[in-house]
Amino acid sequence: MTVQLRLNAVDKFYGPIDKGVHAVQNVSMDVMKGEIIALLGSSGCGKTSTLRMIAGFEEASRGTIELAGREVQNLPPVRRNVAMAFEGYSLYPTVTVGENIAFALKAAKLPDAEVTARVKEVTEMLEITDILDRFPTSVSGGQQQRASLARALIRDADLHLLDEPMGQLEPQLRTLLRGRIKHFVKERGLTAILVTHDQTEANALADRIAVMEGGVLQQYATPEEIKKAPANLFTGTFVGEPPMNVFPAKAREVGSELLLDLEQGLSLTYAADAFSPEVRAALLSRSEVMLGVRPYAVHRSDNGAGAQVMANQWLGDQSHIAASFAGGTIVLVEHDRANVAVGEAINVRLEPEDLHVFDHVTGSAISHGVEMV
Amino acid sequence: MNTTSNLERVLRGMAITLVILFFMFPIFWIILMSFQTNETILRVPPSMFFEPTLQNYRGLITGQLETVTSSLEIKFMSNLFNSLFLSSASVAVGLILGVPAAYAFARLKFRGSEDIAFTLLSFRFAPPLLVLLPLTIYFQQIGLANTYGGLIWVYQLIVLPLILWIVRGYFEDIPADIEYAYRIAGHRWWTTFRRIALPLAGPGIAAAALLAFIFAWNNFVFALVLASADKQPVTVGALAFITASGVQYGQIAAGIILSIAPTFALALYAQRYLVEGLSLGAVKG
Amino acid sequence: MSLVLKDVVKAFKTDVVLDGVSLSVDAGETLVLFGPSGAGKTVMLRLIAGVIEPDSGQIILQGRDMDGVEPEDRGIGMAFQNFALFPHMDATDNIAAPLTARNMSKSAITDTVGKIARMLKIEHVLHHKPKELSNGQKQRTALGRALAGEPEILLLDDPLRNVDAKLRFEMRLELPRLLKDQQATVIYVTQDYKEAMALGDRIAVMNGHGIQQIGTPSDIYLAPANIEIARLFGDPVINLLDVTPQASQDGVQITLSGVPLAIDAGYRSEIGRACTVGIRPEAIRFVEAGTEGAIPLQIETETPLNEKTVTLAVTGNGREIMVSRPAGTPGPDHGTGHITIDASHIHLFDQATGDRIVPTAVGKAQGAA
Repeated sequence: MTVQLRLNAVDKFYGPIDKGVHAVQNVSMDVMKGEIIALLGSSGCGKTSTLRMIAGFEEASRGTIELAGREVQNLPPVRRNVAMAFEGYSLYPTVTVGENIAFALKAAKLPDAEVTARVKEVTEMLEITDILDRFPTSVSGGQQQRASLARALIRDADLHLLDEPMGQLEPQLRTLLRGRIKHFVKERGLTAILVTHDQTEANALADRIAVMEGGVLQQYATPEEIKKAPANLFTGTFVGEPPMNVFPAKAREVGSELLLDLEQGLSLTYAADAFSPEVRAALLSRSEVMLGVRPYAVHRSDNGAGAQVMANQWLGDQSHIAASFAGGTIVLVEHDRANVAVGEAINVRLEPEDLHVFDHVTGSAISHGVEMV
Repeated sequence: MNTTSNLERVLRGMAITLVILFFMFPIFWIILMSFQTNETILRVPPSMFFEPTLQNYRGLITGQLETVTSSLEIKFMSNLFNSLFLSSASVAVGLILGVPAAYAFARLKFRGSEDIAFTLLSFRFAPPLLVLLPLTIYFQQIGLANTYGGLIWVYQLIVLPLILWIVRGYFEDIPADIEYAYRIAGHRWWTTFRRIALPLAGPGIAAAALLAFIFAWNNFVFALVLASADKQPVTVGALAFITASGVQYGQIAAGIILSIAPTFALALYAQRYLVEGLSLGAVKG
Repeated sequence: MSLVLKDVVKAFKTDVVLDGVSLSVDAGETLVLFGPSGAGKTVMLRLIAGVIEPDSGQIILQGRDMDGVEPEDRGIGMAFQNFALFPHMDATDNIAAPLTARNMSKSAITDTVGKIARMLKIEHVLHHKPKELSNGQKQRTALGRALAGEPEILLLDDPLRNVDAKLRFEMRLELPRLLKDQQATVIYVTQDYKEAMALGDRIAVMNGHGIQQIGTPSDIYLAPANIEIARLFGDPVINLLDVTPQASQDGVQITLSGVPLAIDAGYRSEIGRACTVGIRPEAIRFVEAGTEGAIPLQIETETPLNEKTVTLAVTGNGREIMVSRPAGTPGPDHGTGHITIDASHIHLFDQATGDRIVPTAVGKAQGAA
């Protein structure tokens, strides 16, 4: 596999260098050919600035950007061979949706038959064949967004940039289109970068997710890795829905047992040898840690710690239960309809292999499950 | 990158200086003139160096205009008072009438509301002289000619449309939900108008009042025709500087300085409200 | 009966939004108005609040006809989607708005606002103006203002729409308790089916010009009245395939990818008619090839969806099917997969009208036997 895009120590300052707002801080990352990458973060995290630097709408203050083997950071957008779907759609209002989508192919003087075939293919995938003859302003926001996506995906470019491509989509279509778009991109071996604030979308589409916060790349890994081994508390709680449960805890060893003391006198008791000696040592050497556990990893069990149900919400295919636990709230996800009433006392079991331990000051991960980071 | 931005900064600075010079020069020159006698003003070539004198100001304030040939009485200070009184009273009346009307036009969509609002605005389109001739005759018949009341009434032609249209825009910018929320909380519409709509449109009302004041202050034709000497504002009174023995440039300059002083002070004072007005967008968050 | 709507009609110029809507809500009940945008949910809320008036029909709150009653006299609290906080007042004064309308003493107001702020965890920002509040704090302040007057009827217009996903999730779990503590009758508007199912004692599904179905979350998820409603609930969306039920040896069957699948014998009356079958993605299981009744599928892609994995697959005749399973459970190999379908989760709809076909009771009894 070859590297298609390489960001090398890229900085972005708004205002004078080293004095202005440091929107993107020393970001380095590689994107392989044929990979789908998600830049994930909340608004103001630097993801859009990064995207704009890759597209060429924004100058990198420092660092280099290599695309398909050439340095592009000083090239204007038009010479970078990048296709982009804009968050605000940016369709040409004076031509029809169909002409919008075919625009780049016609400009590249492709034979008409090929243009027609490719437009048909991409618009069938996105279910917009019925609006090709209409003008952008006369169709709904969701349709405009799909048209903008089609206009980008139809192109042969070195890189496809998709800025919040699904935000306005009808919820009934979203999951289906995610599947189709992923299939489309993969089948053609396109390289794509998706910018989104929606972790569900990032997880669904991306091979690897770059989590950004405060201009800093927090973690760059596969969805699976991020789920299993979040690099820090931010990544841990940002990626995953429902969000990870987090509690402050203090570790102590009593005989052959390792106790994690939570608030309100609650303790989780484990066999000490369930953890590796390094993890044990790391836990015991700290006055306090942050303990994280994913909602689907919390199980009801007779020999667990006590919690009281505050809400039990059935969503058709899963139940979300919230229970007051150790001075906070713990959330459980069950895939069947859970039969517990509000106010009921339940016992929850947190298995050692499902625990994520973070430093309570820096937030960086100490251990995942029974192993050190 | 750094060099271009430095060059940019220098160029930008020079451009700004040029613009400022261009716009500020007349005002600067008038300030200089106001401290000179007619002789030094009219010398050829003009010079920036002279012996400053306060005689122009003294003359205006005491009401005794000294020229080379004669000394005549000029009622500049009473003109200034007239201007102040007429403008303030007109704006006050305009606000009392215009703000509730603006609110009605913004919030209540009744039949013909757009037409009425536009008709009111169209008063601004008509050349004042067209209105003045018939108005003079009526005013004389009903005894309003040469009264403050009559002038203030006519000044509404200038002030009211301005206030109505500016303030209406501000009221329209307040999301109706904010007022509904206050009503639903249990407050009458009148309380809602006073506690929610008025404060939120405050910057707009201040801006409209300031503009209306300036327009009223600068009015010439209405006062020229409808007011005799004792009710004249400065704009009309300034005609007195054109005397039989020539134009009194020094006094005119001093008169200008004195007569722009109140509006200038008002604008400075209102500036922060105007700036606040621009940040009204926060309402929509 | 805390709230009754009788034949309420509302049109804006020629655009009929509500065409004769009737509804009754019990005291203390939480009713969710759910539907796509433009379905008239917000209009209905505003009619109840009294900020707009119906063209015809009656709105009765606490037994009182609301015709001609001003919003301030209706005894309601309302939270708006865009919060509608008073930008020139701090959070305290915002929350206190319903209290200042009642000539309460200053100290009583301070106490009440303090109590509400503690409940909503915003004590520390009470002196902040709205523009200094985070979205979550704004949303809580707006909620506090709606609750402060202890209204009998609480109208919540998509209050979680403008907060981030994490906060929305937390509030969704927290709201039911808050609302039950208030003992108010709640009308809750949302476009998110999960919120509707999580919060509603009953859900009124709005589509077209009125209410299409009203019932408990179970009623609506397990027995949607028509295809539209079936599509609105569930993520991924329900699979819809055109089928024609046929008679089988011991009842009724449909054919998927050439494999017969027995369905409720109560569908006997539909034999030979063009129907649409609705199959929830979670009612489909991947099985080993060769399992009895297994239907072969071509696997296209897998996408994770929170705690689930969604497989997009294509049937033998080229139709897409989505299958969801709990994350971490084994899935199909790439290429071909095989599925079985839980017949009790199959819905049949009339292809022409889109209405759900209810299996006859006789059939049900036979099916059980």
